[in-house]
Amino acid sequence: MKKDEFKGNLQKIDTCCYRIPQSYKPGMLVPGHIFANDILLESLMKDQAPEQVANVAMLPGIQIASMAMPDIHWGYGFCIGGVAATDPEEGGVISPGGVGYDINCGVRLVKTNLFFKDIQPYHHTLMQQMFKTIPAGTGRTGDYKFDVNELTHLLGKGASYVIDRGLGTAEDLAHTEANGFIDGCDPSLVSSRAIERGANQCGTLGSGNHFMEVQIVDQICDETVAKTFGLQKDMVCVMIHSGSRGLGYQVCDDALLSFRGVPERYGIELPDRQLACAPVDSPEGRKYIGAMRAAANYGFCNRQLLMQQAREVFARVFGRSWQDLGMELLYDVAHNIAKLEEHTVYGKKKKVWVHRKGATRAFPAGHPELPEIFRHTGQPVIIPGDMGRASWVLVGMPGSMEKTFGTTCHGAGRAMSRKMALKHAPGQVVKKALAERGILALAQSAAGLAEEQPDAYKNVDHVVDAVHDANLSRKVARMRPIGVIKG
Amino acid sequence: MFETFDHTADMGLRIQADSLNQLFEQAALGLFSLIVKDINSIAPKEQFQLTIAGTDLDYLLFDWLRELLYRWEVHQQLCCSFQVTIDKNGLQATIHGESLDPARHSLVHEVKAITYHGLEVKQIGNSWEAELIVDI
Repeated sequence: MKKDEFKGNLQKIDTCCYRIPQSYKPGMLVPGHIFANDILLESLMKDQAPEQVANVAMLPGIQIASMAMPDIHWGYGFCIGGVAATDPEEGGVISPGGVGYDINCGVRLVKTNLFFKDIQPYHHTLMQQMFKTIPAGTGRTGDYKFDVNELTHLLGKGASYVIDRGLGTAEDLAHTEANGFIDGCDPSLVSSRAIERGANQCGTLGSGNHFMEVQIVDQICDETVAKTFGLQKDMVCVMIHSGSRGLGYQVCDDALLSFRGVPERYGIELPDRQLACAPVDSPEGRKYIGAMRAAANYGFCNRQLLMQQAREVFARVFGRSWQDLGMELLYDVAHNIAKLEEHTVYGKKKKVWVHRKGATRAFPAGHPELPEIFRHTGQPVIIPGDMGRASWVLVGMPGSMEKTFGTTCHGAGRAMSRKMALKHAPGQVVKKALAERGILALAQSAAGLAEEQPDAYKNVDHVVDAVHDANLSRKVARMRPIGVIKG
Repeated sequence: MFETFDHTADMGLRIQADSLNQLFEQAALGLFSLIVKDINSIAPKEQFQLTIAGTDLDYLLFDWLRELLYRWEVHQQLCCSFQVTIDKNGLQATIHGESLDPARHSLVHEVKAITYHGLEVKQIGNSWEAELIVDI
């Protein structure tokens, strides 16, 4: 397989969306819709991601279109940034590849009542302490140990399990997607291998693109919504990006193993083995859904424990309790997940399985699933960018319900392969360049830092412009990083 | 021999060898070269055997690497040398390596999983080739 440019025909529908016609490939059941603007078009044509959008259009039961968000890039099976909704009543399938290995990988943003001037004298100490305290990197285990029995309860209860042990508050739950708990999970379907991999990893960051950042709000774009969200200019925030660690990877791996031969059994022809799927209403499909939901609950717990450790670091460095420092969770979003949601498809209300592979739920104001506090504004959407430029808080807009099954982008999206990034600049050079701009980057691996350098990503501002203009989600606040810890 | 190739988000591994057995040995070396900065830092102190059943070569390669990854993830078993024999029933391997010693082993990537995307084992003339993508 070569990293070829996409040579297919992309038709411009409007300023924010391109279509891959259904006639592009035999077997496509719907067209492809790629949400992007002209600035992003060139980079998305560079690899096989649009081809993957076309492949996903072949999944049985898919509704309206196989979609991709503006941070689209080449994945495995699904592209990263891919969205597909399937209707079980039309033979719709569930595909582990449409969720990804890191089930419920996601992001949360924690506010503080500190401002840039307050943090400056503590900047170095804070980042050093954070790096020392937060377990990050490959092979690192955490301080929280759960035996098999405890882990089973954790998988069955979600974030409330760790909160009940004093590791957070009830308010944290209300500020987490789905209240930190996906119902319908079945921990007994999580393999012993997955349990083994996850036993010592809850409350650890991991490596790859996962991070914890200290950020400063540098721009408020919507004063009214920002006020409801409690965001102010120059405010210090903490952003956490991680998922379900080895447990989630193993659940996906197990499912793909058990799905061997399953598409053939149900008469499903697929262009890529990584798109392996099973009808939602099949024994194989139901088993994956039960285990995937349990892994998603682990993901919520992992980010909850990471946040709790960050709170403790701040408390130690500033000599005040985290409550006193106003360290409230703004919101936690999942961006690798499949969920059963109600959507209107060609005028008809339907329950569909929305796969979000590197895409974020973005429910608008008035959506019944939102907690009271966000009912009038819409859901906060947390978009991590790169460690040198910016990250964003957006708010869900009605366009997402009309066009993308209530979904928006999930990040900046990679522009450079890891190999290219390593050649572009080594870790030490990246670290120095960031330090010159007031950003302290602490990483377990210099190569990891090089692979994740700012230039390896698209400019998140352009990605956010595209979802803003498409009315999928609207800009609320922009944050710039001042410190990052990486695996 | 093995080399990495560009994949936007993850890492591609391309392997070439004169025989199928060597192809599988090189693939395993390639996997551990992604995990550890210097494969030569792993000493062949311990030995273990693996048997994997299967007739489809693509899936057999996948299952072989999947098993090694699991042993690394859960038992912190780093491996550096492999003697693989493939027959009509599957694969038998003798593997050498040691447990992780953070003082000597510098880790570079957390390999989340081996993926099926683009996975292919093929014979070209007298030599064998495989490509696969690992999730980082």
